[in-house]
Amino acid sequence: MIKFITKRILIAIPTLLIIVAFSFFMMRIAPGGPFTNERALPPEIENNIKAAYNLDKPVYEQFYIYIKNLTKGDFGPSFKYKDFSVKELILNGLPVSVTLGLSSIIISLFIGSLLGIIAAINRNTIFDYSVMGVSLLGICVPSFVMAPLLSLFFSLYLGILPTSGWNNGNIMNLILPITALSLPQIAVISRMMRASTIEILNSNFIRTAKSKGLNSSYIIRKHVIRASILPIIEYLAPASAGLMTGSIIIEQIFGLPGIGRYFVVGALQRDYTLVSGVLILYASLLIFLILITDIIRAILDPRVKI
Amino acid sequence: MPLTQKNIKNNNLLLDIHDLNVFFNTPEGISHVVKDVNFNIKKGTCLGVVGESGSGKTQTFFSITGLLANNGYAEGEAFFKNTNLITCSNEERRGFLGKSIGFIFQDPMTSLTPHLKIGDQLAEIAIYHKKINKKKALERAIEVMDIVKLPSNRDIINSYPHELSGGMKQRIMIAISLMCEPDLIIADEPTTALDVTTQAEILNIFNDLKNNLNIGLVLISHNIGVIAETSNEVLVMKDGEILENGETSKVLTKPENKYTQHLLSCIPPWIGN
Ligand SMILES: Nc1ncnc2c1ncn2[C@@H]1O[C@H](COP(=O)(O)OP(=O)(O)OP(=O)(O)O)[C@@H](O)[C@H]1O
Ligand SMILES: [Mg+2]
Repeated sequence: MIKFITKRILIAIPTLLIIVAFSFFMMRIAPGGPFTNERALPPEIENNIKAAYNLDKPVYEQFYIYIKNLTKGDFGPSFKYKDFSVKELILNGLPVSVTLGLSSIIISLFIGSLLGIIAAINRNTIFDYSVMGVSLLGICVPSFVMAPLLSLFFSLYLGILPTSGWNNGNIMNLILPITALSLPQIAVISRMMRASTIEILNSNFIRTAKSKGLNSSYIIRKHVIRASILPIIEYLAPASAGLMTGSIIIEQIFGLPGIGRYFVVGALQRDYTLVSGVLILYASLLIFLILITDIIRAILDPRVKI
Repeated sequence: MPLTQKNIKNNNLLLDIHDLNVFFNTPEGISHVVKDVNFNIKKGTCLGVVGESGSGKTQTFFSITGLLANNGYAEGEAFFKNTNLITCSNEERRGFLGKSIGFIFQDPMTSLTPHLKIGDQLAEIAIYHKKINKKKALERAIEVMDIVKLPSNRDIINSYPHELSGGMKQRIMIAISLMCEPDLIIADEPTTALDVTTQAEILNIFNDLKNNLNIGLVLISHNIGVIAETSNEVLVMKDGEILENGETSKVLTKPENKYTQHLLSCIPPWIGN
């Protein structure tokens, strides 16, 4: 186990390095720079600014300096938010994004799996058809369409929920963004769970369990769920990636001061260090999640050895 | 026939089947796969069931044990301990399944739950039906593992199905069916997936069960050699009907039906006797 985790962390380092290099050079290939303005600065001033941020040096040297600082946990200064380091900005936005992401993933997993299991047990009934029908809608309608519709209905029409703002994490402010983020995931997860549960229900070992005279709720609890949840565990990492990209838009729509917003603003304004910093964070998070996924899978399925 | 003699005979009957029919709803309409079959099984004897693929052997016994696929249904009588297993409630049938009727399937490789320890899969059936605690159930598991000639030690109890060979898994399946001291065991091609040596060992276990524990045994098989060695009576099925039913020695030496003669002529001469 410990050997497995160390091995995975060692593999993660080159992966992260590639991601860092990729984001670093992609940003610099894109036309324009952080200090390109409508009105050109006097060359002396521009050169001074560039020198202050090491932009006057050759790109490979800039990269070397960046990596060197990264190993010390320094993500560099933001180019656009004056007097802020990237680390400060990320730590600022982190509570918002983590609250949003974590609640969405937990809610999606729980509701999605539950709906999927119930639909599978009652397949070809009204319940099954409605869950599958609604989830198809959930998959087709992206969250950036869902979000304004939700806020139109619940905030403007019914007036029971605020349209936007963080408000120190007030639950009322969170309901709409979390719903908009979770709905597509619930849709995907419930369909996956239904399919895998049906497959397990038709398997030979469930036939054995039935031939033992066990009742169906016992069979579902002991023999079905642990096997049918496996594909959902596999989906955890892609789902989280989906939630991350989703949250970039959702934070924008609901005016939430999370990391996603810094990412958008940073990318538009060529804030090289900010964008790279956020990317590294997202990538590490995903790598960590994939590791967690593998560990959970090994716990659930004795055939998997780690 | 004097009444007393008839009673003795009936007391000996374990499963008595009358006019059993099995149907499936299919997109092409209703398909009738078991047609008006009648037979019975006596305590401590083995009934062999032979017939080509698709002749309805498996579905006959699935219907009795409530294991038919969702689109299937059965009509008729299958009396077991004064209960008609075809018409009784699911609850009532579950009371017999696993407890007095054991079922062993063709494919041991996929018939055990992959994420549960062998010990749990053995113990749960006794915990469920006999309301005993896990410790007692595991003690019983060790006992039945001895009957099926598995090394009765903790290693197997604590292992998972994928860690065992096919033959060991089939022994575990038999052990599961023995946990609650059943009266009847239905084995659907229990040795088809196994190599010849393991097959012989498993058949020996069945012979022991029949002779020593007085268990009624149904042995479904393609292999007439297997049937000849183990069964007292034999049913020959084709297209959902029983063509021949009688003592094994008679049916296999002097078959009355053309189809049985044909089946027998397919066996290479060095098998049998
Ligand atoms: N769910 C189902 N729907 C429709 N027809 C079915 C279904 N299950 C089985 N059948 C049909 O029932 C018939 C009898 O099948 P059964 O499984 O009893 O055959 P079998 O004698 O056990 O054959 P084998 O030796 O191959 O196991 C077959 O023709 C099969 O196609
Ligand atoms: Mg069969």
